[in-house]
Amino acid sequence: MDDTQHSQQLALFLASTAHDMKNSISVLSGTLERLLDGASPQTSTADPQFAQMAQMLYQTRRLNDNLMQLLALYKQVGQPEYPFDVQPIPAIELAEQVAALGRVLLQSRGIAFEVEVDPDLIWHFDEDLIVGVVSHAVNNAVNYTRDRIRLALRQIAHDDGTVLEIRVEDNGGGYPQALLDAGAEAMSGVSSGVDFRTNSAGLGLYFAREVARMHRHRGRHGAVRLENGGLLGGGCFILTLP
Amino acid sequence: MNSPLERKAEQIDWAGKNYLVVDDFIGVRQLLRESLRSLGARNIDQAASGGEAIALLAKTRYDVVLCDFNLGDGKNGQQVLEEARVRHFLLPSSVWMMVSAEKSVESVMGAAEHQPDAYLVKPITEGVLLTRLNRAWHRKQVFRPIDQAYAEKDYLRAARLCDEQIAASRVHETELLRMKARLMERSGEPEKARETYERVLAGREYQWARSGLAKIRMVNGELEQARQMFLGVIAENRYYIDAYDQLALVYQHLGKYEEACTILERATKLSPNSVPRQRDLGRVCLKLGNVAMAEKAFRKCIAIGEYSVRKTPDAYLGLARVCGLKNDPKEALVLLGAAQREFGAEHPDMPLRAKITEGLVYHESGDYRHARKAGDELEAQLAARPERPDVPTCLEMATLLFAVGVKDAPVELLCYVARNNHDNAVLLDEVQAIFDKARMGEEGAELIRAAKKEASDLMNQGVLLWKTGKLRDAVAWMRTARTKLPNNQRILFNAAQVLVSHMKEKGYDELMAAEAHEVLAHVDHLQPGQQRFAQLMEQLAALAPKAEEAVAPEPESAPPASSP
Repeated sequence: MDDTQHSQQLALFLASTAHDMKNSISVLSGTLERLLDGASPQTSTADPQFAQMAQMLYQTRRLNDNLMQLLALYKQVGQPEYPFDVQPIPAIELAEQVAALGRVLLQSRGIAFEVEVDPDLIWHFDEDLIVGVVSHAVNNAVNYTRDRIRLALRQIAHDDGTVLEIRVEDNGGGYPQALLDAGAEAMSGVSSGVDFRTNSAGLGLYFAREVARMHRHRGRHGAVRLENGGLLGGGCFILTLP
Repeated sequence: MNSPLERKAEQIDWAGKNYLVVDDFIGVRQLLRESLRSLGARNIDQAASGGEAIALLAKTRYDVVLCDFNLGDGKNGQQVLEEARVRHFLLPSSVWMMVSAEKSVESVMGAAEHQPDAYLVKPITEGVLLTRLNRAWHRKQVFRPIDQAYAEKDYLRAARLCDEQIAASRVHETELLRMKARLMERSGEPEKARETYERVLAGREYQWARSGLAKIRMVNGELEQARQMFLGVIAENRYYIDAYDQLALVYQHLGKYEEACTILERATKLSPNSVPRQRDLGRVCLKLGNVAMAEKAFRKCIAIGEYSVRKTPDAYLGLARVCGLKNDPKEALVLLGAAQREFGAEHPDMPLRAKITEGLVYHESGDYRHARKAGDELEAQLAARPERPDVPTCLEMATLLFAVGVKDAPVELLCYVARNNHDNAVLLDEVQAIFDKARMGEEGAELIRAAKKEASDLMNQGVLLWKTGKLRDAVAWMRTARTKLPNNQRILFNAAQVLVSHMKEKGYDELMAAEAHEVLAHVDHLQPGQQRFAQLMEQLAALAPKAEEAVAPEPESAPPASSP
């Protein structure tokens, strides 16, 4: 068997395995959400079992996000395999989906989720990718926030054209300096990338940057950056799309 | 949550709808069922395979179908959708959501005839599901009158409805423009289609719009420009498969079969499960004499066709040719038998086409005795039935019959083609070339002249009756002309025009309207996308006594064209 044949078979095997794993994770996280949702208010929050379950949901989500991102990236190396699909999407529907994806997790942690979006704003992007990236950013913010997360979408005019700015902000202590540096490096594209061994948020950032860059319009492309501050005074994840 | 999101709380009543969930994994089915229940849904059926799904779809009209693309052995999700559409198992309002583990190539390739209403990528959660369901539902409402007009083949009305909806619905503007452009192409209005694509591109670069422009160039014969544009689209998004198929067509028009083959091969690697694409690849390979690759493509075509409503006899006939080239006429005959068994019921031309292929197989393998025998049998078949197959089949048949030494039957076939296409100069040249090759050049030229005259005489008499106000006689005359030349598009158009004029003057008549519809449907079948077709369909629709909607002012009726 020659090398290409071997790698083709391997790719096929990986694809079918991934398909299977995704089914399992779907079921796992869906069941957890349902259990958390069904728990009566008096048993919740105070109940240590409830808290453990909420933690399980958080971890399952991370597992799912990482798997999804790995799959997308793995296939992009050498051979871009993702069928990129830009459509006009109402910004409010992007917010709606991100909010729905985070609802149970946020509630179970007692985190308030605020959304700011112009209901008439329509933007062009790959919906599945952007919902994935923003909702991963929200999941990440769960780790840093005290009790509030804010999602704001707005159109901003620049000299060379308008962009959609998507901000995920929290009221925690802000991102550690190492992460801000990693974010800046990932953006500048100067460094070879992020050290995945020491930086658990690295994969997510790297993926977000790749996704942002895929969005191009009239010679401009999307970008991601991390800041501290914002309206809530904590960490800010900012994604802009041309 | 204190957010603008609650604005959207109104929404559709999802509780009372009928749902079908199709997935081969029981855990996913249960999860989706729970998600639907949390939207209030009560009536949820489940299927574990494509076969089960079809059985349920045949019994119940579902409002929403959530169907996984990968369903293990048997039909896949796309094939279930195609079959459900073709067999009319779906309501016009039914929403079909295709689910897959990862984003599928099919979701962006654009030209698939049977697109689902939305693609969902796993894992599916309630929030995402609800947003996408709502969007698909609203989209259906916006598109319903347009789809209706489209189904009635009143493309110009459909295009006007697109314009009306664009003003009202900004979210769907891009998609409405895409629909409008397609309608304009179908109506033989490439200039208006071009304007529409340009309008989209002025806002943002969409591959389908760029590809649409390229297609118009191709139809105009600007092949080099078309080629460059399709290459540009592929460079921009290598998953826009439609551009590959179109580019392959450009190469075929340019006579560059090697390039056509290469590009089709790339397309089949990216999206291998398309019956027409594998068939096209097989045919191009046959032209190039690449027997091995032709065989592979035709075999694949048959394999994926097994569970698809789009399966085609072409793959069997092509594979039979491959067998002939590999000097295995026995295997070829087996395939031709299979093709007749499989497709005989739906394709009345099947015995003819199988016999043509048989003749070709023998002829190509040098067995001239059997080839001649097939030719004689073909001649007998033609004598036994008055109907003739489509033009390419007629030409193929005439060529073969001449080659194996039969004389009368091919002459008759070529005269038939000439009579029914008397104003198609390119085609008449092709007919002449076949005569020339059979060393009948002069005789052929005379026959073509006579055929042309017969057709123009028939048509001119009809126009004369029409112009002198003898509408009833004109209708009767065109009816006779139609029986003599059942596939002459000019005559068919004029026949429909005369019927429309009659009704305009003497009032609507159900039988005449039905006749006109039948005639126009036949022309559209012979050659889709003609301007006169769209115009006559619109006039015909405007004549029908319909109260439900205000019909736009009737376009002026053009007099039937007279023959040169």
